[in-house]
Amino acid sequence: MTAAPMPGVTWHHRHVLDVDVLSAADIDLVMRTADTMREVLARPIPRVPALRGTSVTIIFWEASTRTRVSFEVAAKNLSADVVNIAAATSSVTKGESLVDTIRTVEALGADMIVMRHSVSGAPYLAAEVFGGSVINGGDGWHAHPSQALLDLYTMRAHLGDLAGRKIVILGDVLHSRVARSNIWSLTAMGADLWLCAPATLLRGFDAWAARWANGRGAPGHGRFTVTSDLGSALRDADVVMALRLQRERMEAGLLPSLREYAARYGLTRERLRMAKPDTLVMHPGPMNEGVEIAPDVAVLDRSVILEQVTNGVAVRMALLYLLSGGHPEGVHGG
Amino acid sequence: MAELAIGAVVERLDIERAWLVDPVSWREGPGEIVVRGGRLESVSWLRGAAARGVRPGGMLVLPGLLDIHVHLREPGNEDAETVATGLAAAAHGGFTTVAAMPNTSPAADDPAVLARVRAAAAASGSPVELLLHGAVTAARAGERLAALGELADAGAVGFSDDGAAVKTAVLLRNALLYLGAFGLPIFEHAEDPGLTAGAEAHEGVVAAILGLRGWPVAGEETAVARDLAVLAAVVPDAPAARLHLTHLSTAPALDLVRRAKAAGLPVTCDVTPHHLALTDEWVAGARRWSWEALDGDGAVRDPWADGALVAHPYATAAKVNPPLRSAEHAAAVLAALVDGTADAVATDHAPHRAVDKETEFGLAANGISGIETALSVLLAAVAAGRLPLLRAVAALTTGPAAVLGARAGRRGAARGLVEGAPADLVVVDAGDRWTVTADALRSLGKNSPLLGRDLPGRVLLTVAGGRLGYRDAGAA
Amino acid sequence: MSGRQIMTAEEIRRAIVRVSHEIVERHGGTEGLVLIGIQRRGVPLAERLAAAIAEHEPVHPPVGALDITFYRDDLSLIAQHPVVKGTAIPFDLNDRTVVLVDDVLYTGRTIRAAMDALVDFGRPRAIRLAVLVDRGHRELPIRADHVGKNVPTARDEIVRVHVVETDGEDAVRLEQSGTPAAHA
Repeated sequence: MTAAPMPGVTWHHRHVLDVDVLSAADIDLVMRTADTMREVLARPIPRVPALRGTSVTIIFWEASTRTRVSFEVAAKNLSADVVNIAAATSSVTKGESLVDTIRTVEALGADMIVMRHSVSGAPYLAAEVFGGSVINGGDGWHAHPSQALLDLYTMRAHLGDLAGRKIVILGDVLHSRVARSNIWSLTAMGADLWLCAPATLLRGFDAWAARWANGRGAPGHGRFTVTSDLGSALRDADVVMALRLQRERMEAGLLPSLREYAARYGLTRERLRMAKPDTLVMHPGPMNEGVEIAPDVAVLDRSVILEQVTNGVAVRMALLYLLSGGHPEGVHGG
Repeated sequence: MAELAIGAVVERLDIERAWLVDPVSWREGPGEIVVRGGRLESVSWLRGAAARGVRPGGMLVLPGLLDIHVHLREPGNEDAETVATGLAAAAHGGFTTVAAMPNTSPAADDPAVLARVRAAAAASGSPVELLLHGAVTAARAGERLAALGELADAGAVGFSDDGAAVKTAVLLRNALLYLGAFGLPIFEHAEDPGLTAGAEAHEGVVAAILGLRGWPVAGEETAVARDLAVLAAVVPDAPAARLHLTHLSTAPALDLVRRAKAAGLPVTCDVTPHHLALTDEWVAGARRWSWEALDGDGAVRDPWADGALVAHPYATAAKVNPPLRSAEHAAAVLAALVDGTADAVATDHAPHRAVDKETEFGLAANGISGIETALSVLLAAVAAGRLPLLRAVAALTTGPAAVLGARAGRRGAARGLVEGAPADLVVVDAGDRWTVTADALRSLGKNSPLLGRDLPGRVLLTVAGGRLGYRDAGAA
Repeated sequence: MSGRQIMTAEEIRRAIVRVSHEIVERHGGTEGLVLIGIQRRGVPLAERLAAAIAEHEPVHPPVGALDITFYRDDLSLIAQHPVVKGTAIPFDLNDRTVVLVDDVLYTGRTIRAAMDALVDFGRPRAIRLAVLVDRGHRELPIRADHVGKNVPTARDEIVRVHVVETDGEDAVRLEQSGTPAAHA
């Protein structure tokens, strides 16, 4: 059972577009709401009527099975009416603009939109045009807030308070919306965050880290370290998160080859020994086994990769529930 | 004045006790203007008691402004702007002469296209003078030279493949050599496409945080270095060759120009109002001027840290090529304007259809509709003490006129308050403000990041060549 | 806290003892009996009832906690979602007799929501209701099987129950408010 709630905590965000605008109190609220959702998921019938009568439309312009199904299950567990639009089969490919698609969806009665798009910033355009709530299921390189929150939930479930804990994100940080969102959430929690990758995949992040290092960072968000030295990054780490490396990065001239990346930066059992003995291994999925993560690491007991899937549904249920609350005017008691 | 139609001769105009700015005589101060029969009959400078109470923060009289880099989308994209709407926007902005870029459809690589655009200008009835640039290469394709001589004979004032750089160094060299015979400048858009492929925003912390592909400074710097090297190689053979670098946005590029000028190379350059006043912070959702984005030590502020983010990020109105740069580059642009490295301010007025801007950031068209806000932006810089008023006005009049040299239009280099000449002036109330709204803009292009904002300096009257170009609804 | 005190700590204790006997008498024993407290204050009350039963019976009935937030019929109407406190029902409900426990019975909507929730956990043989205070003004056909005290109230009054476990004292007070009390 959960502890008594913090007094005076309210949710006042109409959308969930990125983690950067969430305060530590907001994040804590999501975590505790996700706890109650996990309890719901453990029931024989994992369903509550909290979003009954609410219409949730899921539009994914960029393909994804894992995240899309996770949101769909989350919405259905809250008894929402779910409409699923996969861009490839809709009029979107016939050249309908994003704005027109959103307007059509709104006219069809959507109260909430969950969207994934390959261009950074697309959910902000949707939020300008749509009268209800928008949840960003991933936009370009920019943000994946529900993923960062479920990563956070998983880490806290294993480690408790993350203040001062060493957390390493390893891999293609430059193109990773998961990395960017995790920077906001983990620094807000006071973690000792490290980003590690070859220099070509870290461009811009040292400037970001430097800005925050002088204590002039965003309020409530702490500092993080950027390095290409795998050893110093992994040493005594509490959590290691490996990011997917895509073939396109070589084609863009950023890396010599996947093999070289695997050889120098792949997370192998041996390299994992540099971290703490009970370090948590995470991966946002899908995995390239043999590239960024060795197959024998992916299946280790202490790997929580599959657990993240369950936590993902709980966190997404929490977000849908909190967003359905409308605008704040004080908290009513139970 | 009440019933005077746009384009009609201004028979009679008296302006008393205003602050006159004349960059030709390099003079500003209290004065009075008398216009009769479309001519500037007298310019009187007031002294002593008569001058008391007249301040530069009130009514200003400036020479009509000259914009050497605008995009009128006719022919080919009239939904974004026509010659008529573009000239009306120019007059609203206080401009009495504009030079239009040739990246129309078809491109202005042939005198027939120039004639077509001139006909549209004549049909519009606007008294704003329209000058035309010709393309450097045929269809701006970067393969062969356009009909440069024919275009020159047809009155082209400059040549540009703007939208892109001249594709190869050899083409640039040959064009400079050829045009050296005419003494006409090439307006070069300095960009190395290899370095900027797919770029969305200035390469820096803002782009890193927002997950946008970066536009490296080197993309402009290496192109400028190339261009200057080519120019230096050409000048011994063609002493009258001239290169003008347009919309420079980075400190290193401006530095290169500064040194090239010191070495005597025939290079000039212009900067846009948005590059001196706005920064990449605007893409993140900040809405403060570039000089407000630097702290006392000249370090760039962090908009995520100091509550400067007041709007949603990814506003496509802030997407432009070259991109809005970080504050230290904007400061360098301002400094270049103050020290004369930048010869002119040119707006790069780039109107777009709503449908081309109301889309995902990475897919949105580049460009800011800026001709109507340019003067106000400069006046904001003046009011903030960042730019002297005379220098600001010169950058919009004598500076660009010098760049165009002999072909600077009917006023030529004498772009000041000159007695006896046809009246070419703009009256601005620097003490009044106006709100930038879609309705207030005469341009069809509503793609301005300043929409919704209150700006200083309301243009009350624009007189072009003795005829009425614009009159504010509230003006007496 | 202001207002008129309508139950002292001693009166609450006696009411709990009496109700605990009533529950067992009504059920004919403790076989298959479970108590489920409704968040928030129903939970400590359910625990006290179970403890009281254990004092005169050989068995301490299982106690669960139920948060009915997700089942409220007014979720779309209230401006801000209440913070969820959590449900814990670590036993099977099928064929059991569930005694729901709450502090105040008012409109009956909370109990309606609670029954909706219970149905998702299984199929109890029977559901009964025990409350510390019944203040009247039912809006649904719900009645309590066991009542600590009946307190007639006006719509613009509030019944405040304090329990040591959450509020540091045991007391029930009746207060005036400007607006009619919400829910419960």
